[in-house]
Amino acid sequence: MTFKPRYTRRAVLAGAGATIASPYIFTSAQAQAAGAIKIGMPLALTGPLGSVGQQQKRGAELYAKLQNAKGGILGRKIELLIEDTAGNPATCVRKAQEMVERYDCRLFTGITLSSEALAIVPKLAEWNSIFISSDNGDGRLTAESFVPNFFRANTSGPMGARAVSLYIKGAELKSFYALGMDYAWGHNSVQVFENEMQRLKINFIGKVFAPTGTKDYSTYIAKIRQSGADGVYLVLAGDDNNAFLAQAAQYQLSSKMALLTEQIELVALRAVGDASLGLIGSARYAFTFDTPANKEFVALWKAEHNNVPDTFEGEQWQCMKVFEAGIIKAGGIEADKLRPALEDLTIESVKGKVLIRKCDHQGVQQGFMVKVVKRDGFDHPIPEVLAVLPEDRTTPPCNKMTYDD
Amino acid sequence: MSTLAFFLTQSVNALSQAALLFFLGVGLTLIFGIMRIVNFAHGALYMLGAFIGYSLVRWTGSFWLALVLAPILVALLGTAFELVILRRLYRRDAHAFLMVTFGLALVVTEAVRLIWGPDALQVPPPRLFSGVVFLLGEPFPTYRLFLAGAGAVMAIAIWQLLERTRLGLLIRATSQNAEMVHALGIDVGLVRSAVFGIGCGLAALGGVLAAPLVTASHAMAATVIIDAFVIVIIGGMGSFLGSLIGALLIAFVQVFGNYYLPDFALAFMYLVMLLVLVVRPGGLLGKEA
Repeated sequence: MTFKPRYTRRAVLAGAGATIASPYIFTSAQAQAAGAIKIGMPLALTGPLGSVGQQQKRGAELYAKLQNAKGGILGRKIELLIEDTAGNPATCVRKAQEMVERYDCRLFTGITLSSEALAIVPKLAEWNSIFISSDNGDGRLTAESFVPNFFRANTSGPMGARAVSLYIKGAELKSFYALGMDYAWGHNSVQVFENEMQRLKINFIGKVFAPTGTKDYSTYIAKIRQSGADGVYLVLAGDDNNAFLAQAAQYQLSSKMALLTEQIELVALRAVGDASLGLIGSARYAFTFDTPANKEFVALWKAEHNNVPDTFEGEQWQCMKVFEAGIIKAGGIEADKLRPALEDLTIESVKGKVLIRKCDHQGVQQGFMVKVVKRDGFDHPIPEVLAVLPEDRTTPPCNKMTYDD
Repeated sequence: MSTLAFFLTQSVNALSQAALLFFLGVGLTLIFGIMRIVNFAHGALYMLGAFIGYSLVRWTGSFWLALVLAPILVALLGTAFELVILRRLYRRDAHAFLMVTFGLALVVTEAVRLIWGPDALQVPPPRLFSGVVFLLGEPFPTYRLFLAGAGAVMAIAIWQLLERTRLGLLIRATSQNAEMVHALGIDVGLVRSAVFGIGCGLAALGGVLAAPLVTASHAMAATVIIDAFVIVIIGGMGSFLGSLIGALLIAFVQVFGNYYLPDFALAFMYLVMLLVLVVRPGGLLGKEA
């Protein structure tokens, strides 16, 4: 007696094929039916700037969660596509390309490094995609490297440098030195700061750039001390910023000169503790900003995370609000409709009024100077607002990174 | 700042950096010497040491307790890893070890992320070494002075361990001819477990000591493993003295190179390595391959 199989080989193969293919068919059918709004976020979740990428991720995730609970935008759910680039521009372009080709993603945000953003923007027209920056500092993105499908909701590097220089104008500081991270943002911001110092007739003694991932800052601290300047301007972020602040405190650098920084993040204040006390800088966002929208945001954040939001969590939140207002105004997410809708759009944000101006797609917004202090109820130092600078003073002229007045 | 003061402070600083590099390099080179394994997890264990150190400082309030306990815990973890996993692979070729130790690095990195979260954490220097001393009128953090001293003490201790103790004798003998040691009735497996544990513990020691300078962060692992490999390659794979010289050389070149030619800060280390490899392909004190 011969054994007769009950299934033919072809049937088994077809079944196996269907089983393998089915998850994809299911998810794409589901997405089609719901018409989810996909927002691509190729983030630096690891590497020296991983802490920035992690903040962007958390900011976007809370927004998506709360907005989806309210039914999404235009009745469509928000779906975040999150991938790690480790801060590498080539990886960033590859991951973004994948999001476009495999998932038909047409909206981008959260690209962490300016060097990554500069690599992405030339591709936006080809991808027919809109990219709204939530943290990219490099001034060139809204100047010489500007492309029509790029928008910047956040405070740029030049705007941070400008806020610091406006503050210096009122302080008794006669000479400056600068230390920046050795990549696009660091160079750009130090350059803008140098120009501002020259305009203000303040002696700009010199500058030095440290590679990302620098662990020992002693030689840089020696250079800063030797400069004999009244103050040093810092353009540092992530782990490098933490290392510098911890070591500068150990060298008691702040007893010799004022330390001014382009950005202050809670993650750094938590990581270095009291070593950050007294630090003055511009804050792109701080939970202490006194606006109605911010009070609401901080309450939502506390309810979710049981702590207060950090710089790029607030910036990412503001960016998502720009997306939301733009998509509602456009009635869809197609680049041809969304681009004009975003131009000259105004929202009431956590930082006050934000206008996405038409000429270079920069978000016109107030500048904030903060000082790091100790306050009851917090187990880490916090940024306290020293001065709020009007948006027309902090935002550069259209398509420029330098200021005329 | 006078030139003399500058050279003095930066030289002491280079010694403190050399100490951190030495803890990494010597562990790596000991493991290679005995086991012919390139331990890719070394950077991750250095980071693990920093994070365990952070928790111990928080729980016990004592940096010194953390400095002793964190390396012991990581050494135990390393020994367990050798006993459970590496031991089964000695008959395989070197590729197996690359994959397995690389896998360990990934597991440790992700575990740290899950346990301690993604953000950098503060490890303040111990109170005793939180101030500055004045060297020729220039302020210098006492913690860095302590690091330089700790490096010197550990270098002497490891040297004494290798030269004067029975374990040291066995380690040296095993690295020269494991089969002969085995034939003499010594359990070579035990020596390997011990050395792997000691190497991992030394990496963790470096991690705890580095934490007050750079905070305990995830990026520690990736940036430091390259430095460690460069030191071992410069010094010669498997050479204790080589790793010491390599660490000193790299630290001084980095510190003074960064100062005089900051634009080439990243390149110095590799230039020194290239130069050494051209002159002595096996490293300064290594055997030529």
